[in-house]
Amino acid sequence: MSSPAADGAAPATRVVVIGFGSPIRGDDALGPLVADQLADTWVHAPVTVLSRHILTAELATMLHDASLVVFIDASVDGPPGEIVTRELVADVAGALGLAHAVDPRGLLAWTQALYGRAPRAMLVSTRGATFNYAHYALSDAVQAALPPLIETVRRLIDQHLQTA
Amino acid sequence: MSRTIAIEPVTRIEGHARITLELDDDGQVADARFHLTQFRGFEKFCEGRPYREMPALTARTCGICPVSHLMASAKACDELLSVRIPEVAMELRRLMNLAQLTQSHALSFFHLSSPDLLLGWDCPPAERNVFGVMFRHPQLAREGIRLRQIGQTIIEMLGGKKVHPTWVVPGGVSEPLTEEKRDRMLELVAEGLDIARRTYEFYKDDVVPKFKSEARHFGNFPTMFLSLVSRKGALEHYDGCLRIKDSSGRIVEDMVPTSEYAAIIGEAVEPFSYMKFPYYKPRGYPNGIYRVGPLARLNNCDTCGTPFADVALAEFRTLQASKPVASSFHYHYARLVEIIFALESMERLLNDPSILNTFVRARARSNCLEGVGIAEAPRGTLIHHYKINDDGLMTWMNLIIATGHNNLAMNRGIKQVAQKYVQSDKLQEGMLNRVEALIRCYDPCLSCASHAFGHMPLQIELRNAHGKLLDVVSRS
Repeated sequence: MSSPAADGAAPATRVVVIGFGSPIRGDDALGPLVADQLADTWVHAPVTVLSRHILTAELATMLHDASLVVFIDASVDGPPGEIVTRELVADVAGALGLAHAVDPRGLLAWTQALYGRAPRAMLVSTRGATFNYAHYALSDAVQAALPPLIETVRRLIDQHLQTA
Repeated sequence: MSRTIAIEPVTRIEGHARITLELDDDGQVADARFHLTQFRGFEKFCEGRPYREMPALTARTCGICPVSHLMASAKACDELLSVRIPEVAMELRRLMNLAQLTQSHALSFFHLSSPDLLLGWDCPPAERNVFGVMFRHPQLAREGIRLRQIGQTIIEMLGGKKVHPTWVVPGGVSEPLTEEKRDRMLELVAEGLDIARRTYEFYKDDVVPKFKSEARHFGNFPTMFLSLVSRKGALEHYDGCLRIKDSSGRIVEDMVPTSEYAAIIGEAVEPFSYMKFPYYKPRGYPNGIYRVGPLARLNNCDTCGTPFADVALAEFRTLQASKPVASSFHYHYARLVEIIFALESMERLLNDPSILNTFVRARARSNCLEGVGIAEAPRGTLIHHYKINDDGLMTWMNLIIATGHNNLAMNRGIKQVAQKYVQSDKLQEGMLNRVEALIRCYDPCLSCASHAFGHMPLQIELRNAHGKLLDVVSRS
């Protein structure tokens, strides 16, 4: 969908990192835990790190003028322990409904529709082993994947900051 | 021959529901029912838990209005403690409740109902959603998002997180407000008030005049209205006493202490829905039909007590010659007036230096075995009633939820809209959407309304025009 708000202007270099997931559902806590560990990494660079339980449409107000957004989430597929990085594009299908929560592609669709543009978006994830309620610890596999996953996010952002 | 039309699922509401319309031999709508098909069970599984867990536990009833449950629950727990909480704690709770009202009403108006109001009933379904609104009204959509964000941000600043904050505790709140946060909130409130006033003017001047027919047929019938009012009769969402007005505007109950709600409110059960049917006891069931929520609150109060909201209240009261305003379509209008009230009230609270007082919690153990807490949730009056034993463990709980209060009215409203717009020989998209949109006027929260546990089997009956039972499906 095109939008009358589109101006075509290239955004200034600004990165938003969003780690999301439930802290009480085992490996789903991966995203917030990584975000918390990255919070003070880029003190002197235009990088905002957010830790969120769920993604809500209001986050669009923080994304529309960013050049890159990196989502961090545990996945339910893929090889155990492997860090998967993939690019995301806006998808309205992930955004309709109650607006109680949206998925990353839906959030990009909200941003695109509201502001005429959405940032380049990457998802960094690894497969979770358990997502049961009232589990407050990561599985061994995800715990082991934390350091390389954090390093992957760091590298992704540093490269973006250097080349933008 | 008679037919039954099922509309399922009902979209853009919180929860899952189904509507059935029964047609007579002439193809006219004979009856309509709103079925709540989801089930929770909070009243039962809370038994045996410590009462101090109730604010956090019952807040899980809902992800949209957890703050409302926090308020009602904490007030019920205050009664169990038998303490008078510090004045600043009450004002801080009030502040959070108003922020909740702002974000929830913004969600209802901008996200859920604006496609109906701004794009029209006959707009193709693929476009009649919030993305269609963003495309055709981008500025309004952006401001709607921002307004909800302002409410959520203030909740987060007070409670530590947007959804399910744990800052409201029995006896008060867990932490005082800092000067830095207060100043930031004042900036947000000022921005929100600008948006709210602009949206109100746009709605009043550009939208309301286009929906005169809907206003006449969308749940436009006489009922009573229930809400809290302050002890001076003003609009009130946190404290105060119960008031009921009848359809002529006469006050039939006033200054009823919240602890005595059970003397005037009863709950009936119907086999076709998990949602109970509250009613005004002196008039019996179902004659004791009443409505709650923004429409009821504006009809019941003598004044809002804030400058611009009082101007808007006066304009609201010109919408219909009848007093009170009877059409459920005007819930939307009332919601916008309440957003203005909420933001003006927050500004007043934040500008009072005492809001920074640091004594924010009274500490005690349980001193009473029964407590009632009532607050106005965005959707209407929310009642938490607890009983505990000597060890402080819950032995009984009754929750009466805003959406439940409106159950009788929603069913009657659906029938009225269906009788006006449903033609049996042709089911048009615009007609179906109007039936759904009537439900959205009430902004029902079905997750909240299906909190109960009890003997409520879901039963669906198929009857012909002569009342003969053709088929029945039951689930115990």
